[in-house]
Amino acid sequence: MPRSLSRRLLATASIALVVALAVAAFGIAHLLERFVMHGLDERLDAQIAVVTRAVRQDGTLDRARTIDVPPFDAAGSGWAWEVRGPGGVLRSASLGSSDIAVRDRERHGPPRFDPLGPAADRPRPFDGRDPAGDEVHGRVLRLPTARGGVEILAVAPRDVVERPLHAALVPLLGSLLLLGIALAVAILAQLRFGLRPLVTLRAMVDEVRDGERRHLDATEPTELLPLVAALNTLIDANEAALAQARGHVANLAHGLKTPLAALRLDLAVPGRDPDGRLSAQVERIDRHVRHHLGRARAATPAGSVRLATPLRAHVDDLIAALARIHADRPVRAVVTMDADLAVRCDPQDVDEMLGNLLDNGWRWARTTLDISAERTGAMVHIAIADDGPGLANADLRRVIKPGVRLDERGDGHGFGLSITRELAELYGGRLELAIGAVGGVVATIALPAS
Amino acid sequence: MRVLVVEDDPALAEGIARALRAEHFAVDVAGNGEDGGHLGDTEAYDVAVLDLGLPKRGGLSVLAEWRAGGRTLPVLILTARDAWTDKVLGFKAGADDYLVKPFRVEELVMRLRALVRRAAGHAVSVIRAGALTFDAQTGQFEYEGLPLKLTAFEWRVLSCLMLRKGIVIERLALLERVYQGDVDVGSNSLEVIVGRLRRKIGAAAIETIRGRGYRLVDPPCV
Repeated sequence: MPRSLSRRLLATASIALVVALAVAAFGIAHLLERFVMHGLDERLDAQIAVVTRAVRQDGTLDRARTIDVPPFDAAGSGWAWEVRGPGGVLRSASLGSSDIAVRDRERHGPPRFDPLGPAADRPRPFDGRDPAGDEVHGRVLRLPTARGGVEILAVAPRDVVERPLHAALVPLLGSLLLLGIALAVAILAQLRFGLRPLVTLRAMVDEVRDGERRHLDATEPTELLPLVAALNTLIDANEAALAQARGHVANLAHGLKTPLAALRLDLAVPGRDPDGRLSAQVERIDRHVRHHLGRARAATPAGSVRLATPLRAHVDDLIAALARIHADRPVRAVVTMDADLAVRCDPQDVDEMLGNLLDNGWRWARTTLDISAERTGAMVHIAIADDGPGLANADLRRVIKPGVRLDERGDGHGFGLSITRELAELYGGRLELAIGAVGGVVATIALPAS
Repeated sequence: MRVLVVEDDPALAEGIARALRAEHFAVDVAGNGEDGGHLGDTEAYDVAVLDLGLPKRGGLSVLAEWRAGGRTLPVLILTARDAWTDKVLGFKAGADDYLVKPFRVEELVMRLRALVRRAAGHAVSVIRAGALTFDAQTGQFEYEGLPLKLTAFEWRVLSCLMLRKGIVIERLALLERVYQGDVDVGSNSLEVIVGRLRRKIGAAAIETIRGRGYRLVDPPCV
């Protein structure tokens, strides 16, 4: 059984086509043969009727009442007649003194179909050979007489039947072959046309996987609609499971962080933790919680629905938030990007990546933070440049590793850059840090364009 | 300075209240969104600390309703939700600052003081009035160059007058910002506190405006 659906359909259709054409070829050939044979039989029967006049009621034969019309008079023509009875033998001139050899009287048996009904006084067919040894087709009539039965035979060359049959069959088979080719082409076209919805559906599933569409959207063909509905249910279930997982992560965060905060406050009471050992442990737990929650968030985009997230709106919102978080550090944020630029990432992940980078830039900038973005091919490159003191090259490579933190001024937790890098890489992009023209750090993140 | 803390975890709420009182703040605690929203609507606070995941009503809805009702008090969101999307949503709802749990007490205190100072219109943290200096970042008062020792009530009254120096503060407004909702005024009546302050920073420094309230005299710089 072929694995491919189109091969299955092709195999079934091909077998059916070959069988149909073979049956047609045999059927038509048989009909033609009967048609030709019928004409020949009528002519032989006419000759038998003429010769029958030479048989008298008493069984004797009257030579004078027979006529030899062409082609029965020419020797070797293959056309001949013969009368055999108790009263002697009469032969056509074409026979000379030889007999017709009856080879296969039983082959055709009685007539398979006779519009006049079965009758003993009608000629019956047989195969035989003429004196020259060539195949002949014959008819024989038995007449009862007073002295016994008389046989009247008339034969014609087999060739007379086979030549027109052959002449008709060659163009017939050619036509059937052409018909077969045309039908095969039609089958291939039908397969392509008929199976096209499957190709469309597969492309749609790809688009869902790539986040370009949320659901499969097909109104035809009706045979595929149940499958489309089932796939959409599956997509919804996936999405719900993802949302639930995210909800669990958020609940875990809330559940762990609030008691941690209370613990930290308790330890801050003078005398509770004189050597700072307990506070250090709380700090460790906090770092682990943050790290793993960050990772859990970063691990989700592969399965999530990623639609076009407008860049400008998210950058503006983040800048408004950062201006308040760092209200005492008046930094001017200059945004240079097209308003219609969008990336193919989850909006929450866009906030997470850009929020971390902008927050970092804000901490280091002296007066200005330059944010620019442009599309290059399939990617959008977003550059965030501060005019701060910059970093040594070794530190540039180090800070995007988990837990490394150079900034001791704020409440940065040291995971921002590494999470941002992981997220960017999950989307097939990347994060690079470099020293800019004004000496500050330039963080460039590449994300898939939408 | 009077703070409203809306936090549903009793241990954390208690810890925050204790730490803020140690820094002289008057603290009211609400354990759910409904109570918190109501307190913020009806009482006078200098700043509010608002959790997001609250029973009965979420913090964002409480905040949005305050802002829709014209309440301008500075609000610091204190939450476990550390995603940037949550921060953006918080600021869009009208928050002034955002702090993620767990946090350092000093960080919370510093941010609350900064919020109160900025709300009073001071861009820098050190405020002067004659020989009196107030560092709104550390909460320290200095008089004639020396640190001034103050009780919690004295500190609340003086910081309130200092942040609005030269302006008459209504007696009722001052009272609201000095006493926690659940504390008996007792011997610490406003008149007694003002009297003690006058002994520490000079009788002329605080003017009594009869029938209205008090004003911290802000002599022009020499």
